[in-house]
Amino acid sequence: MIPFKYNVRNLRVRWKTTLMTVLGTALLVASSCILFGLVEGLEHSLKVSGDPLDLIVLRKGATAETTGGFESKKADELLTLNGILRDGEGPVAAKELLNIAVAERVSGTFNNLIIRGVQPASRKLRPDFKIVAGRDFETGKGECILAKPLAGMHKGGQIGGELVFGEKERYRVVGLFTAGGSSAESEIWADLKDVERNTGRDGSVSCVQIRAAGPAEFDQLRKEIEDGAQFRLAAHPESEYFATQSDASTFFKAAGTMIAVLLTFGAMFAAANTMFSAVKSRTREIGTMRALGFSRGDVLLSFLGESLLLSLLGGGIGLLATLPMSLLSIETMNGNTFASVNINFRFGWWVMAVALTMTLVMGLFGGMLPALRAVRLEVIAALREL
Amino acid sequence: MAASSIELRGVEKEYRRDEFVVPVLSDLDLTVAEGEYLALMGPSGSGKTTLLNLVAGLDVATRGQVIVHGQDLGRLSESEITRWRANNVGFIFQTYNLIPVLTASENVELPLLLTNLSRKRRRENVATALRVVGLEGREHHYPRQLSGGQEQRVAIARAIVTDPYLLVADEPTGDLDRHTADEILELLEQLNREFQKTIVMVTHDPLAARRAGRVLHLDKGRLIDDVINESPISAAS
Repeated sequence: MIPFKYNVRNLRVRWKTTLMTVLGTALLVASSCILFGLVEGLEHSLKVSGDPLDLIVLRKGATAETTGGFESKKADELLTLNGILRDGEGPVAAKELLNIAVAERVSGTFNNLIIRGVQPASRKLRPDFKIVAGRDFETGKGECILAKPLAGMHKGGQIGGELVFGEKERYRVVGLFTAGGSSAESEIWADLKDVERNTGRDGSVSCVQIRAAGPAEFDQLRKEIEDGAQFRLAAHPESEYFATQSDASTFFKAAGTMIAVLLTFGAMFAAANTMFSAVKSRTREIGTMRALGFSRGDVLLSFLGESLLLSLLGGGIGLLATLPMSLLSIETMNGNTFASVNINFRFGWWVMAVALTMTLVMGLFGGMLPALRAVRLEVIAALREL
Repeated sequence: MAASSIELRGVEKEYRRDEFVVPVLSDLDLTVAEGEYLALMGPSGSGKTTLLNLVAGLDVATRGQVIVHGQDLGRLSESEITRWRANNVGFIFQTYNLIPVLTASENVELPLLLTNLSRKRRRENVATALRVVGLEGREHHYPRQLSGGQEQRVAIARAIVTDPYLLVADEPTGDLDRHTADEILELLEQLNREFQKTIVMVTHDPLAARRAGRVLHLDKGRLIDDVINESPISAAS
């Protein structure tokens, strides 16, 4: 086998061409990884939002919390059902009221934000709910807490500030929270009573969130809520509910895959170009090695290896370049609620798979034709090459 | 008489250029004894390099037999002849053909990578080969850090490191000044004399040819003269 140092040193000798190819590859890999990292972030937020024992109760036929309102009286009855997990403070279940309000950004533009009126148990129903700055709101005092990614994005959207929505709705910001990267991290939370009062929607709720005591209770609760004559409501397992909310991620993923494929093709040509010139400039060396007894297979492996090394360098740098993106959070719109959703870049398996696939495809296919050209060279003709 | 090392029987070689057939060697019969030092001379296009390539297993005859060290090269598949070359032939080129990104010792080690020798043994063999050609202390030099004569010495070390049966040299002194050329020729003589290597050398240089034990003259693909140098000029003389 031709020693690998031969390829490494050749790349080093042709460092300008190598650098340009590596940087080009890195850029392409990085841009695809960023896109897929955001898709993965969105999917993750939806995935962690759904606990397997949690139910979201909506009006029958409703597909989202924002359109799933029903009478508060029914909601109160739901909280008394057997089978709901209970702790020292009562049932782990909460009535919630959602209001989509138009908020003014610091920049002067507007977007829709979800203001969620919650009850104390709402916090237990979100993964890793934590107040990370300031304090939790106090009931009935017109206070709110902001998801951390929203901090400072809107006028009055910082601790001590006041968020104003229209003429009636205003909340004093007293704290920032995180919720394990779940979809709640795009929301403003306030006391249920305050939201009811501000929106004039007392007597109704958007949904009730329930945690079952166990899998058997989960099924029993679901049946009772859906079939019980007094309810006739839809009890969606939370994981299923959030899966239906991921239309945006499907779109991003499809678009991302298409872009990644196109970029990979582009990078493949760049890698092929570099490797063709490598083969051309080293024709006599190839002839010499073939004369010395190295086989066509040795030459093929050598040039494919070099091409792979080139693309792995680019892929590695591209992947590393995406690491700081973990700090990135972008705002998009939920197609169902039209409210803004913040997506955090997530460096996970998808990103790794995309980077690895792009890199291998670029290296192997980009290097294949030049390597085959090297393999097909006749020894005598190659030795005559200047 | 010594056993025959190379035997050519009715060898013809033609090349096809589009619809034209270009004959390069015609009806060539030749026997070279083991340990013989043969110089091939002739004008450009006379077929001497083609003959060298046939003997070295780099090319195949259109007709006839090329038998080297008892092996009919025409019967070998491409992969077999590649392996055969690795085991039996050492190559010395006019332009040295060293790999520029490898050091002198790494260049010499290249043919050994095709053997099953341990790393330690490979290093020992490389050191021995470099010592034979007088390049101790230059192991870690890259070709660009060596003179032309030193580069050719590295190439010779690479050619002998596997202890091949046959050395083929295509104008080994063509790129060197007279003094350095003499040193290289002296080294080849030494390999022939002390290590009994069979050497086939293509040269345009009559002085180089006079150092060989036998000189063949080719013209238009035919052997026109076959001269035994009874007292080849040696560097020592």
